[in-house]
Amino acid sequence: MNANVSLRDFATPTWILIAVGLVAGGAVGLYEMFFGHLFATNNALVWTLPLVTYIFLALMSTGISLVLAYGLIMKEEAITRHTRPLLIMAIGILLGGFTALATELGSLLNMVWILLSPNLSSPIWWMGALYSVELVLLAVKLVMDLKGRHGVFDMPLAWGTLVIAAAAAITIGAVFGTVIGRPDYHGAFLSVVTLVSALVSGSAAIVLLRPHSALTETAGRIFRQAALLFAALILVRVAYEAHSTVAGMLGWASIAMLAPFLIAAALLPLAPRLLALLGIVGALWVQYSFIITGQLVSLGQTAHWYGAVQSYQPNIPEALILVLGIAVAAALIKLGEQFLMRGEGRAAT
Amino acid sequence: MGYGMVIDQQLCVGCAACTIACKIENNTPVGFNWCDKITRTSGKFPNVRYEYISTMCNHCDNAPCVAACPTQAMYKDAGTGLTLHDTNKCIGCKACIVACPYGVISINWQRPHRHWAQRDQLAEGCFSPREMLEESGGEGSPHGNPERGTTYPVVRPAGSVEKCTFCDHRLLEGLAPACVDACPSGARQFGDIDDPNSEVSRLVAKHGGQGLREELGTRPRVIYIRDYKPQRRFEPFRPAGEGQGA
Repeated sequence: MNANVSLRDFATPTWILIAVGLVAGGAVGLYEMFFGHLFATNNALVWTLPLVTYIFLALMSTGISLVLAYGLIMKEEAITRHTRPLLIMAIGILLGGFTALATELGSLLNMVWILLSPNLSSPIWWMGALYSVELVLLAVKLVMDLKGRHGVFDMPLAWGTLVIAAAAAITIGAVFGTVIGRPDYHGAFLSVVTLVSALVSGSAAIVLLRPHSALTETAGRIFRQAALLFAALILVRVAYEAHSTVAGMLGWASIAMLAPFLIAAALLPLAPRLLALLGIVGALWVQYSFIITGQLVSLGQTAHWYGAVQSYQPNIPEALILVLGIAVAAALIKLGEQFLMRGEGRAAT
Repeated sequence: MGYGMVIDQQLCVGCAACTIACKIENNTPVGFNWCDKITRTSGKFPNVRYEYISTMCNHCDNAPCVAACPTQAMYKDAGTGLTLHDTNKCIGCKACIVACPYGVISINWQRPHRHWAQRDQLAEGCFSPREMLEESGGEGSPHGNPERGTTYPVVRPAGSVEKCTFCDHRLLEGLAPACVDACPSGARQFGDIDDPNSEVSRLVAKHGGQGLREELGTRPRVIYIRDYKPQRRFEPFRPAGEGQGA
């Protein structure tokens, strides 16, 4: 633990931004939990930007876990030298996602209850269980790293993290892919999308937040390969949607979605952090697009209430939940760096 | 033993009495109905066609909502075949709403019937909504049906989903669902659809019929028979209530 942290360390522009995000987003979250409903939802469009925020942050955390596990298994020193900050990032971002999810569910207790009354046929239950296990694994690894205990458990933990993180990302896709009544969701394709999306946003987050030459080069290499793969997946989806005759399919992919990934992959060495940010925004765009589009066609009687096809724009409270999730993640990462790292390279802010 | 419903499209007049009866019986809040409708207009003038399809939870044998629910709040009742919901287990994840291909599950985004808790009077000397509620002794609203509370909360909590239960509280008393009793043309028949000798099974055997979106493999327990045809108007009429009841 770093005992040399003073109040002055919190009087920085980054902490002021984080505080503004925590207060503004936190106020919306508390209002949503205890007083009323502010989100732009209805009975046909139930999963909106707050859920997208959870999935965006959870997948990003998963991607960081995957890169870290890969580094530990392959003994990539460029990655293993940054084990502690990467663990802090993965934990912070995952807890930011859980915060957004809590506002979406309306209660923190609901997140605990999900584990206590399991339905093993439910992808959401598996998603909750796998992310809980991942959080525990990350916490165990962080504690072991803080105590300097390295040895026989390192490799099993790395493999465990790799398997659990990959399974968690795939299960997020299954939450949508197992829905039989909505053509824009149904199918195994979304599990591939969420897994590759996790790699894209996780490796991009490392490039963005840990600008160290060797790490940027290694994580950047993973990011470029994942971004190209992601662009190929989107292209496949565009082609499929263009030829689809499935009734009720709107299509969530577009040619324009390729741009951020192709540009970032091609030009990353020129401006690594800026283009990593572009990759992250691109991943958010894809996730937002498929989650929202899948619900825009009103099913059955809801067409009478909301029209056959809805349109959706996030409102300000929903946008503030995105801000809250990012602010919680940023706060936890900053706290982790200030208290758990002794003057080692801190994240760029 | 498994309950099911047959809706005769030839007899349904689209009066929405089922919707109103359900709303009163089950105390559903403003903003959604457990029993509702799909309407379709097709064709080209003068050969146009209008369909009114009364909808509710289909109590599917292979219910996607039950499979999707992470906490077993949505479950199949083995004795009756009903798809039921436990508000105590519901975490408001809305997976059931997304999974249901029929759009018949709704969520209480806010506390239902909250307007009846207001103490503001419209004009001085009038009752406030709260005073009317207290005067009536109703739960949630002055119209809250206490019998509903025998198997499911009269007022479902904020953050919880809710849907048609085939009036399971009435079935326990040997009564048919409220929508069936309210139908003025006898278009709705209810009974043990697993029993080949029941009235509902005989109707399906006689007229064929199918559930909504059966191609998805959900095996719905609400079966629609006979598309409306004007030339059938003079066929023998089956009185409302015949062969009904749990």
